[in-house]
Parts: sequence; structure tokens; C-alpha cells
Amino acid sequence: MPEPSTLTKPSRPSIHREDIFRRLVDSVTDYAIFLLDVNGNIVSWNPGAERLKGYKTDEIIGKHFSIFYTAQDLASDKPTRELKIAAEVGRFEEEGWRLRKDGSSFWAGVVVSRIHDEQGRLIGFGTITRDLTERRHADLRYRLLIESVTDYAIFSMDPRGYITSWNHGAQRIKGYRAEEIIGQNFSRFYTEEDRAAALPQYVLRTAEQTGHFTGEGWRVRKDGSKFWASVVVTPLRDEGGELFGFSKVTRDMTDRKLLLDELQRHSKELELRVQERDQSNAELEAFAYSVSHDLRAPLRAITGFAEALKEECEGQFSNEGREFLAEITGAAERLNGLIQDLLEYGRVGRISMPLASVNLLDAIHEAKRDLGGLPPGLLTIAVPKELRVRAYPQVLKQVISNLLSNAIKFRRENSSPEVSVVAETQGDTVRLNVRDNGIGIAPEHQARIWNVFERLHDREAYAGTGIGLAIVKRAMARMGGTCGVASKPGEGSTFWIELPQANEK
Amino acid sequence: MQNESVLLVEDDPSDFRLIQRAFNKLGERFEMFRLTNGDEAIAYLSGDDPYENRGAHPMPSMLLLDLKLPRRSGFEVLEWVRRQSSALSRLPVVVLTSSRHSVDINRAYDLGANSYLVKPATNSQLEDLASQFRNYWMSLNEFPSLAEQPRGMND
Repeated sequence: MPEPSTLTKPSRPSIHREDIFRRLVDSVTDYAIFLLDVNGNIVSWNPGAERLKGYKTDEIIGKHFSIFYTAQDLASDKPTRELKIAAEVGRFEEEGWRLRKDGSSFWAGVVVSRIHDEQGRLIGFGTITRDLTERRHADLRYRLLIESVTDYAIFSMDPRGYITSWNHGAQRIKGYRAEEIIGQNFSRFYTEEDRAAALPQYVLRTAEQTGHFTGEGWRVRKDGSKFWASVVVTPLRDEGGELFGFSKVTRDMTDRKLLLDELQRHSKELELRVQERDQSNAELEAFAYSVSHDLRAPLRAITGFAEALKEECEGQFSNEGREFLAEITGAAERLNGLIQDLLEYGRVGRISMPLASVNLLDAIHEAKRDLGGLPPGLLTIAVPKELRVRAYPQVLKQVISNLLSNAIKFRRENSSPEVSVVAETQGDTVRLNVRDNGIGIAPEHQARIWNVFERLHDREAYAGTGIGLAIVKRAMARMGGTCGVASKPGEGSTFWIELPQANEK
Repeated sequence: MQNESVLLVEDDPSDFRLIQRAFNKLGERFEMFRLTNGDEAIAYLSGDDPYENRGAHPMPSMLLLDLKLPRRSGFEVLEWVRRQSSALSRLPVVVLTSSRHSVDINRAYDLGANSYLVKPATNSQLEDLASQFRNYWMSLNEFPSLAEQPRGMND
């Protein structure tokens, strides 16, 4: 049995080198390094070997190295085979289970090297063993982790896109089992059009050049059905930066995609309907506009000729004839008022209303001026001088004017009208109350008074077109405000409007 | 004062009669003749059949033009007048219509109207309009020549 010292050349003054080498080996504790003779018997042992395998030097020297192998490996005569390979090709390398002295096993990385003398004769083997159990567990954990993921298809490819690994998620989402897809090119997941457009190549090129590729698109399952995929492709590089493949993570987003598509369809439909409504609104406005104008031409004729008749022929009329003429003139005036209000109602719905900061008190005074001379004491105003609201000035004036003229008009018999205009600020909102002591409105009528042509009284009692409050309501909506009424029959009404308060100009 | 004349283009006979009455009430008369649609107006101004005879159908000093007309609209007549390469393009045009629509007003001025008036609702207002119209256009205003060719023309 050759002693370890015989492994070196005794004639050369290399005893020191040999000594240094031995010390090096003896100092290694992470690797089991030991020598075998040609038959596989252990002839040297280092501290690493002792730590790894549990045997002390004196109890292992001379033992056959097959002592480290599992029963299964022994049954297949593996130790002999390994030495044979090492003797023939110079080196044997593997990872596999080995046994410790206490019978426990560990995952070993083993290298067995042939050692020969100067004449080339085999004189033994050097063995280096590492405990790779931890690394194996880590790899295994990682692999199992990825394999067990079912919500995501995770697979790897070589640099040309040929599949090298496949997880459960990939099987679930794409329908292929690992054994039937590994080795195939990933381009088969793409639609024919995408393949024709060289999308698969583009994906890999982009990932390689930019560090990743993300995208969404339709992909094809094994059964030919399609799914909406959200994809991330990452290049895999070794320590030297050399590309050795790609990883690809794919999620099936079909449900979300369909939901989004449906949402989009709905919003498009909604848009279309809004357009249609806008269009029909515009048509309605145009209709009202042209009707109002075409109605005016004969009205001018009625008024004009009635006046001409009165001027030129009044003397020839009886009293009754003069009354009839007055009826014609009065009716024509009412029709004129109606058309004007209708036009105004249309205008309020049509014109653009750029909102500005408006002094509320100024607007009230202007509205009051429009109503002509009011008897003193009829109107009291309690509005802070500096209070400003966001509104369109002319339309706000019109709204207030309509409310004031209503408040004055619907007076109780035998009672002098009193109208108060009071502003309240509630947070960012300004409410303007127009309160009268008039006839009031029964609760069941309070909703309908805002409609066009809605009148509660006959013309002889209270004149009017029935459009004034409709204009108020429309104008307030257009200006982003609100309006309403609180009233008791016989006690009067309080009409109110609300607008956002405006900051200083 | 030269004998000025107004060509009124107005399709509504009632409106025409009331306008005529209002102007007549002013007492002093200036010539006003009436056509009822846009095609006729353009034929008249062009001197086309049946208006070749300028003795019987003299060129007016100005146009009083309704917008809503059968066949060619007032806008089209106005556009046609301003497009003429002859001195006719100078013809003063006053719009008299029932539309207060800002779209109509702006378009009329864009096309070169000299004034825009809205038909009043009552006779007295119409008489007031006629009176002021006469005072302004027939007294204060200087009319351009419609015969002298514009300068810089080739012919």
C-alpha cells in the first residue's frame, strides 16, 4: 500500500513543498480531501473529511471508501464503477447521496481524480467531497416554489426561445405538460399574425437589449383557444454577463380584459347616447328658435294692423267694436310675451355661460331696476355688500328679476305686498331667499310650478306666461346651482336659489 | 339732395305693408321698391331679364334686406353683392330681419353688412325705426358711386 509520501518525487528537494501542501490540506475544514489507493482504500484523511463524515483519522485509514455509499449505490456496484471511470478518463464528478458515520445522509458534490506516477502507472485517487445539502435544499425549494405556482405560468428558455423548464401554472394556463413542451420554441404560444409579424423574436430581442420586456396580448393555448396574457420576459445572464436564456412569467388576464373591453364598450355607448341626446337637444333648441321666429311674423302683422285699424278707423267702430279691437291687441301682446319668454328659455339652455365672480347685491339692484319703479317699502334687501357668488351675470340678474316679479305679482287681495331678499352663507354656499307675503302655494303644486307653461291661476287673476320659473330652474342648473321653494297657502312663499360663494374677483 | 332710392327685399306682404306704412307716415317720400326673394334681388341688381331697362328699374342707392327669404337667402344676396368685381360691391346693405340670434348678426357683419336692424313688435316702434332710418341714411349718410369702377381694376 503506497504511503502518501510516495506520491511525490522523492529525488527532488521538494520536501518543504510537500510539507506545505499537507498543512494546506489539513487546514481545510469545508472540504473532505482524502486519498485512495488503486483499490479504493483510504490512505489519508483531513479535518474537513472528519467534520463532514464523522470518522476520525485512525478509525478510517485503511477502510474502503465504499463505506460512504448508500445500500442502493452499493447494490449497483457504484463505487467500483466510479473508480473505473476515474482511472480511464482521469476524473469522475457527480452529485449524490453519501453516508456519514452515524448513518445519516448528505448531498455530496464529489470529484475523484486519477493519480499516476511518472511512468503513467496508476498509483491512487484523490477525492474531494463537499456537503451540498443546503444548496440542494435551496435549489429544490426554489424549484418547488416556482413549480407549485399555479396562477402564473413561469418557464425558462434558452437564448433562442426553446423552452427549458415549465411550471404547473404554465401547464394550467397554456395546457401543455412539461414533457411535451420542453424543447419546443415559445413562439408556438403566439397567434399566427403575431408570428408572421416576428413578435416572438422582437420580445426576446427587447428583453435582451433593455433588460426586460413587458406586454399584453392574445396568446394561444394548446387546444387553440386564446387568452389575454400579461407577460414579463427577463434575460438570464451568468456571472460573466453571458446570456444563457430567458425567464418568462405569463398571467392569464382574460377575465380582466373582457371586463375592461365591456367597460369600454359601455362607455362608448354612453358617449354615443350623450352625443345623440346633445344632438336632439340641439335640434329641439333649433326647432323652438325657428318656431318662435316664424310665430313672430304673423304676430307683428296682427299687432300692426290692429293698431293701424285703431288709428285710422276707430271713429267708425261701435263701443263693442272697440272692445273687440282691444281684445285682439291684448292677445297679441300676450303672445308676444310668450314668445319672448320661450326664446329666453331656449337661450338660457343654449348659450355658453362662463361663470365669474359676481357681486350679489349689485345683481339684485340691477334686477330691481329692470322691474321699473316699485312702491317704497315694498322691497327690503338684507345682503352683505361684499358677498360674491360664482354665476353668469346677465342670467343671474334674469333669475332674480323673475323671482322678484313673481313675489310681487302673487299678492293677496286687500293686502299690500311685502317682499324681502335675504342672503345666508352656509359653508361655501350662498343661499338667496326671496320671501313674500302673498297667496302661497299648496304643497301638491310646489313641484310643478317649475315646468314650462305651468300656471296655477287663470289669466284674469294673475297674468303671466308660465315660463318664468322654468327659466329660473334651467338657469340655476346651467350655473351649477340649485333652487327651491317653501310655502304655505295664505302665508306667502319663500323662493330660494343657491350658488357657490366666490372669492374676491 | 339727390333722389335716393331703397330696394327692399321682403317676402312677407304684411311686414312689407307695415314697413311701407311707417315710411309713408314720415311725409316726405323717397323711392322704395320691393322684391320678394333672393333670386329676384340678384336679377334686379344684375339688370337681367325682366329688369334690363334701368329707366324703369333704376339701380337703388341701398338695399334693405330681410335674411329669411325664399330661394336665395339674404345672406346669399349679401355675399353675392360683396363678391362683385364691379362698383356694385360697394352697395350699402342694411339687414332688417326678425332674428336677434347672435349667429345671424355676426354672419351678416362677416359678410359685409353695413347695419343690422331687428323688426320691432309694434307699429310705433316701427315708425320710430323708419324715422331714424331716414334721418341717418337719407340725410347724414354719403352714398358711394356704383358706376365708377374700383381703382386698381384691370379693365
